[in-house]
Amino acid sequence: MIKRVIKKLFCLVIVLVILSFLVFALLYIAPGDPAEKRLTSQGVAITKEVLDSERERLGLLKPFLVRYGEWLLCIVRGDFGISFKDDMPVAPKLVAGLRNTSILALTSLFVSLIISFPLAIISAIRKDGITDHIVRLFSFVGNSLPNFLISVLLMYLLCIKLNLFPVIASGNIQGLFMPVVSLAIPMTGRFVRQIRSEFLNEMKEDYVIGMKGRGVSCRYIILNLVHNCLGHVFTIVALQIGSLMSGSVVIETIFRWPGIGKLVMDSITARDYPVIMGFVIIMGTIYVVINQLSDILCHYLDPRTEI
Amino acid sequence: MKKKVLGLVLAAVMAVGVVGCGNSASSEPNILKTAASFAYASLDVHKEYYGWYTSIYGVSEALFKMDENMNAAPCLAEDAKADGSVWTITLKDGVAFSNGTPLTADMVIRNLQRVAEVNERFAYVADFKMTAVDDKTIEIDTGDVYPTLRNELASPEFGMVDLDATTDFDNDPVCTGPFVISKFQPEGDVEVTKNTNYWGGDVKLDGAIFYYMQEDDPKLLAMQSGEIDCYNSVSSAALTVYESEPDKYNVVSIPGARLQYYILNENTLDASVREAINLTVDKEKIASYLSGTVSAAVGPFNTNAAYGKVTVPAVDTAKAKELLESDGYTLGSDGFYEKDGQKLTISIKYYAARSLDTLALLIQEQLKEIGIDSVLGVEEDPDATYIANSDFDLALYCMIADKSGDPLYFIESTLKDGAYYDCGGFNDDHCEELINQLKFETDTAKRAELANEIVQIAIDDNAFGYVGLFNNTTVLRKGVSGFAENIPFDFYGIDAETTIE
Repeated sequence: MIKRVIKKLFCLVIVLVILSFLVFALLYIAPGDPAEKRLTSQGVAITKEVLDSERERLGLLKPFLVRYGEWLLCIVRGDFGISFKDDMPVAPKLVAGLRNTSILALTSLFVSLIISFPLAIISAIRKDGITDHIVRLFSFVGNSLPNFLISVLLMYLLCIKLNLFPVIASGNIQGLFMPVVSLAIPMTGRFVRQIRSEFLNEMKEDYVIGMKGRGVSCRYIILNLVHNCLGHVFTIVALQIGSLMSGSVVIETIFRWPGIGKLVMDSITARDYPVIMGFVIIMGTIYVVINQLSDILCHYLDPRTEI
Repeated sequence: MKKKVLGLVLAAVMAVGVVGCGNSASSEPNILKTAASFAYASLDVHKEYYGWYTSIYGVSEALFKMDENMNAAPCLAEDAKADGSVWTITLKDGVAFSNGTPLTADMVIRNLQRVAEVNERFAYVADFKMTAVDDKTIEIDTGDVYPTLRNELASPEFGMVDLDATTDFDNDPVCTGPFVISKFQPEGDVEVTKNTNYWGGDVKLDGAIFYYMQEDDPKLLAMQSGEIDCYNSVSSAALTVYESEPDKYNVVSIPGARLQYYILNENTLDASVREAINLTVDKEKIASYLSGTVSAAVGPFNTNAAYGKVTVPAVDTAKAKELLESDGYTLGSDGFYEKDGQKLTISIKYYAARSLDTLALLIQEQLKEIGIDSVLGVEEDPDATYIANSDFDLALYCMIADKSGDPLYFIESTLKDGAYYDCGGFNDDHCEELINQLKFETDTAKRAELANEIVQIAIDDNAFGYVGLFNNTTVLRKGVSGFAENIPFDFYGIDAETTIE
């Protein structure tokens, strides 16, 4: 077991080195540079001399491999560097963004699962019935609505029409409610359809037909179905966690939620390489770890599955 | 006895109650709530553009302040006089930081030196020789004659900070403004309270909250729900809503200093084509399409400024067609002009910000009407692509044309030979000569004359097309005033006179 863990960790390091090199190279060849973005952020024109001097200060005139090597050495020492955008340390920015995004992502995931799981089961059991049609319609609509539209509609309805929440709310449960609902609506739509489909596939299995034929109670059949579907559901959830953790820029911007999505989008616009690279390392690790955990979980639930 | 004691206790309770009520009524804090589209990680007045925001928050002040007429009016300084290359600046009496420490000439010099040290855009200040003549007088020897120093000292990056008392420049600078920072969330909301020691007298507000809100819709909803009292950079969609309720909202819109313009590439376009384009692009129609967010421009500067007096030919599509035809272009069966079997197709480059995407489409449509075909090319980063490579026929750009009430900055950035934004091949010897004169001319009226002549040369050469000046549009709830709504610069917000009725 220890050997296997060491092997996985070694693979993770290799993946991260390759990933970071590719991203660093892509940023290097992409047009635009942080110095110019920083100096002209308010639309004021600058001279070439000022630009060159800022490039020199930020170390942008060094060769590609030297820059990558310096960055890698810092990362190995646990130093994520200084932001090109504002000279602030990168690590606290990423930690704060990640913390806020985790709160938002995990809460909306929890809410989505609580709602979608029972709806998907009911919909699958009553396939082609009225309940199934209604659930499918809602999941279709929820899945089709873009995030920004849901956010603005929710704001208009809850803050202006019903006066239940303030438009400006942040850092508390009240501030969490609307972004969570906005994220949860499309996610629930997706989960309902995916879980329902898993259930319907499982219901065609011989053991289910056999149990039905033997007159086994419906509750017992559902319990077995739930148990056997869990592996697939975990895979779906694991994939969703990955994309949720990379943040939702629209939701974070509209609801003033200072998460990692908005941080990274701003950093890409500003060509803030240290922040982008820090994000790549963290997200790469999260993706790999979550996928490994999901595989392990699937193996425990269904020992036929190989890790 | 018991009754007397009870009576006294009741009287005391009532008195406390009355006083308490009185206090609560009179001490209801007078807090302005507003939305800010940008938020930064630091409040260091001298670094980057953070000084713009400390100025908007009413925390920092510079020696001069740009007024409604684009003049650098006295603020912390009484006056600045130039004698050759030596400027003498006199500070106002009684100016002090929020901690009560008086602002001295020596502190001003140290501030200027720090700006040069930490802000690359102002590194040139390090070459100036600065001396404190006495506590209130500073002499600055700029080496060469430097006519724009007074205007440049109005830049908010030159806000004065008590360098001895400030221990945390990023979070709590000690400045001279009517407000002091009470809560600062990096890249988030900012709260300020009244500076009780303000040197300029009474401050009408008790404080203000600047909510960081990037999106237009939440700002509109927050305004409608009464959670904010005012904000600027109002979108055209929101403008329609506010203008439909004039009893609730006061909308102030003035032409600002941010210019939308296009560069015509002289190396790839014939003179006749460039002239035809300029005769076709209808700025008024574009401004009207952009519904109140821009004002049609004549030149790069506000026409109210003395250096904004230039003329452009009126839109004349018939003349544009005539010009093309006299240059050998013939109208093809597809409705587009061609010459030597080659269709007249121009490449329009733009980036999707500051409404330039809409502008590109409108210009494409207008050119199509006279028979000029065009291909749109969008870039995410104009400076690193088409501005750097000049691979365009018509390039759209947006920049602040007037940053401190003087034309030299824009002229040097876009019209001077070799300038970074002179990427369309415009080069005129007489213009170059005039730019060199402008650089050293100290008489304001003559400067305006020179600037007008220089810009007119560029216009007559059809090197550029100045399309629109972004309006500084502010919406204020009825009873709110003094949010810099009449000043055409982006870097002012609340001050001692800002009020909520």
